[in-house]
Amino acid sequence: MPQSYPILYILGALIALAVIVMSVFFILKAFRRAKAIGMDTKILKETIKNSAIFSIVPSIPIVIGIGIMMQYLGIAIPWIRLTVIGALQYELLSMDTAAQALRSISPDYSYQVLIANAVIVMTVSILSGPVFNAILYKKYQTKLADLQKKNSRLMDAITGALLGGMLSGMLSAILVGGIFTVGSPATYTGGINNYGEIILITLAASVVIMALFGVLLVVFKQKWVENYALPVTILGALAIAYAFVPVFEAKYASTDIVGLIANIAPFIG
Amino acid sequence: MKKVNNDVQTREQYNLEIHRFGRLFTIISIGLIIMVPIAYCIAAGVIPDFKALAKCIPFVLGYFAIGLVEAISYAPLLGTGGQYMSFITGNISNMKLPCSINSQSIAKVKQGSEEQELVSTISIAVSTITTTIIIAVGLIPLFIFREQIVNVLNPISPYVIPAIFGGLTVALVAKYYKTAAIPFAACIILCVVANLLGFGKVFDQSTMVILGMVISGISTFILYKKNRI
Repeated sequence: MPQSYPILYILGALIALAVIVMSVFFILKAFRRAKAIGMDTKILKETIKNSAIFSIVPSIPIVIGIGIMMQYLGIAIPWIRLTVIGALQYELLSMDTAAQALRSISPDYSYQVLIANAVIVMTVSILSGPVFNAILYKKYQTKLADLQKKNSRLMDAITGALLGGMLSGMLSAILVGGIFTVGSPATYTGGINNYGEIILITLAASVVIMALFGVLLVVFKQKWVENYALPVTILGALAIAYAFVPVFEAKYASTDIVGLIANIAPFIG
Repeated sequence: MKKVNNDVQTREQYNLEIHRFGRLFTIISIGLIIMVPIAYCIAAGVIPDFKALAKCIPFVLGYFAIGLVEAISYAPLLGTGGQYMSFITGNISNMKLPCSINSQSIAKVKQGSEEQELVSTISIAVSTITTTIIIAVGLIPLFIFREQIVNVLNPISPYVIPAIFGGLTVALVAKYYKTAAIPFAACIILCVVANLLGFGKVFDQSTMVILGMVISGISTFILYKKNRI
């Protein structure tokens, strides 16, 4: 594993601290504002609980991402990169792009130069969002707020369109990606197979579990389930996915053996 | 409802304050993020290969454009505070936004209201703290038991997003089916054609989210003009 220098750990700690200070600051500001406008702070306390519970499971792939990146970049750089804006696939793609460029110009490059170039590419490519926020977002948000005041119907339509578009894009990619990898698992970085069958099973399980919660809520008036419905749905669907992984691993392992035998049969026949 | 204090700042004043601090935190974060490659080069005693870096410019510009489109499109959904935090810490479509939508749906806040803004801000802030702590706490066991942890948890990592979005769709379908029906059908067709032509990897989740928003924006605007929504 490449070396991580103490200065990088110090920077990582500073970044994590800055992120936590910023988040706590915004929570306190929101609470004060809620009190000032007469909003029931019980709703905000519930929001804290729901959001903390919700965020645990989606954090798991990020930790795994650090585990995968560690072998290429040491521990400090992946920690920093996945604490701030970025994602495993993007970071690996940046590293690959930097490596290809280096290979084409100076084939005898050192691994340290590769890390330096890769981290520069990762850092610069992802900065447009924060830079937009620092320079232009205030003006843009003011225009959005004006539109909300002047024509709330249009603003509602825009936010509904963006949310509906986000859901449509994500769901179509999951569904079609799942269907097209049925029978031919895709392999991710880190050597893990992505089975289309399990993607579809997980999606279906998530829909069914959430629908059952809906029945409990609407038909049986069990209001308490509302706070836990989505986190429990995610956990339930993932438990089902976990149970199916060995099934499909065994299925494709046996298919591989059958394929192997079929391929070598003519030569040993 | 509690009594409203009439001496408090207006919504505009509150927003200006959030912008002021949001920009400050963003500039500090950009500074710290930029320090990482500089610190690495100094500590390792290496000079980057600038010729090779110049060859990466098309890649950098491509991601720069994607980042800008994301910042513009997510802004109406995240709220002011949420936008600043989300574009420093990332994981927007797979965590911050679903987390905020879930909280808004539980709190039953009105779209465009200040209550919605506050719930979204708190939700994204708590989500950020939770993830930052989980990552920091996970570093030590990850350092010692990297292989075992990755082996146990990695098999389920491709399925976290389907697990989130199946349930989230059920929760939101009643509210957004009118605006989502056309983009959903268009996205499905686009994805199928892309996969049949061998471009499936290009039209992945992050690309489709942006395309879905663009298609949805156009179709919703037409429906709006025809007074169908």
